Amino acid sequence: MPALFLNLLKIIFLLLIYIFLWQVARSMRSHVSPNARRSNKTAREIAVVRSETLAGRRFSLEQPKVIGRSSDADIIIDDSYASEFHLRIGFQDGEVILNDLGSTNGTYLNGRRVSVPTAISSSDSIQIGKTIFEVR
Amino acid sequence: MTRSAEAALLIATVVVAGMGVALVNFASGGGLDAQVALTLLVFSIAIGAIHMAVRRWAPHANPFIFPLAMFLTAIGFIEIYRLDSRLVSIQRWSLLVGAAASVALLYALRDDGVALLRRFRYLFLFAAVLLLLLPLLPSGWPLHGIEVNGSRLWVKLEIGNRYASFQPGEVAKVLLIVFLASYLAERHIAMAIVQRKLGRLSIPEPRQLGPVIIAAGASFVILVYQRDLGAALLLFTMFVGMTYLATSRMVYPLAGSVLGLAGGLAAYRFFDHVQVRFHSWLNPWDDFAGSGFQIIQGLFAIGSGSLTGAGLGSGRPDLIPAAETDFIFAAVAEELGFGGAVGIITAYALLAALGFGIALRAREVFLKILAAGLILVVTMQAILILAGILRLLPVTGITLPFMSYGGSSLVANILLLTLLARVSHEVRP
Repeated sequence: MPALFLNLLKIIFLLLIYIFLWQVARSMRSHVSPNARRSNKTAREIAVVRSETLAGRRFSLEQPKVIGRSSDADIIIDDSYASEFHLRIGFQDGEVILNDLGSTNGTYLNGRRVSVPTAISSSDSIQIGKTIFEVR
Repeated sequence: MTRSAEAALLIATVVVAGMGVALVNFASGGGLDAQVALTLLVFSIAIGAIHMAVRRWAPHANPFIFPLAMFLTAIGFIEIYRLDSRLVSIQRWSLLVGAAASVALLYALRDDGVALLRRFRYLFLFAAVLLLLLPLLPSGWPLHGIEVNGSRLWVKLEIGNRYASFQPGEVAKVLLIVFLASYLAERHIAMAIVQRKLGRLSIPEPRQLGPVIIAAGASFVILVYQRDLGAALLLFTMFVGMTYLATSRMVYPLAGSVLGLAGGLAAYRFFDHVQVRFHSWLNPWDDFAGSGFQIIQGLFAIGSGSLTGAGLGSGRPDLIPAAETDFIFAAVAEELGFGGAVGIITAYALLAALGFGIALRAREVFLKILAAGLILVVTMQAILILAGILRLLPVTGITLPFMSYGGSSLVANILLLTLLARVSHEVRP
């Protein structure tokens, strides 16, 4: 096998490696950023979609809100699956952050359990026990 | 859509493997022989099986994890074939076993997901410690440990005149990550908040940290006793890193650094081979023919590789001791040059970015810590051995994930990334 031909094949092989890596790097960009697919509309209020006592009510998110069964909570929900202080909605770096306060039965954001502080935005749904809120 | 992108990238890795083996043949005057066909066949079967299992049982998994892992496996495989064509048939079987294990794991987790693993965490811890102890079984038993290069970390199973040997520590590594992630997921709030005052310092409550320290201590003592100091360092970094990720308390990495430094000094004082490794790192030329030989041969190989390398099959990587295992990066850098070496490091970097991206997006503590722990270990392992070869750190005898020759390592790392893929399926936006 002539040396020139071998050298050519070597370069082609290296090119193949880099084309492969380039394809991966290019298409994985959207997979790496933490919140790639979130809508960027800021959350302004939460509306109660399903509840025995609060259905149809809306609560503004201008101040942080603690939701729970306790009478000291900002939004008091009468739901036997909710904890006394179930979750807090606050602000950080210009984002609205949902923070589960170690509730017994958990908080579900868009159907998934969240146990770490998570940014929420318009059209997300928050479920606590049998109560469902929608972010608007 | 993403699954077909994955399929295309996976097919590209099969092409890379086949073309590489063919190039090695061409360099020695050979042609397209049975080895090329076997390579294409085995990579197609292994990759096809994993891809079908992912499509079926984890359809939303990140589509780039397996292509990157298989790309690294392919490059390592080519170099192993180039160095020793007998080893490559064992490596082929390892790849098939790894693929089968990956499919089985995806099947087992199909309904309950990785949360299923939380139920068995103490069993995993127990199994991990047991696996780490296996190499200490006395010779003469059907299942016994064997000593290689002064470290006792291999286990040999002999039945009649047939035998199989493996490194149980590799699987123990994965089990320990799962144990630690599920333990920390349950206790992280208490660990971050419940503190005890010690003068002006607040230290974690011992009761919360107890099991972590026992787990770390037990694995550590065993590994040091077996003189597998590279793995001990890796596990130590993993325990400290995961605890920090779970609690975001600076006290853990700080205490970890102090303990690590103390441990390093103690190891330097009490183990001859640590002193040797350290000296051959700083002054490899003092004992060129002896302790410095491997590292210098590695550096010569990388240097002679120049920009595009000698070409697959045209260099002399056989001159580097342990070229097919620990020093495979030096062998690849010689034959594919700076270009190939940067490509490999890029692949590891992309894999790390993917893994930490998955951890960042996870909204459930267990998934977050598990993803971070899995990728932390792969990344740390790659960094430790690459830095050792490049003489940025003393050489620690651990394998380069996916590329080094070694069945236990390949199977364990494929399982590790299968878990990561399953986590990414569960955290999809």
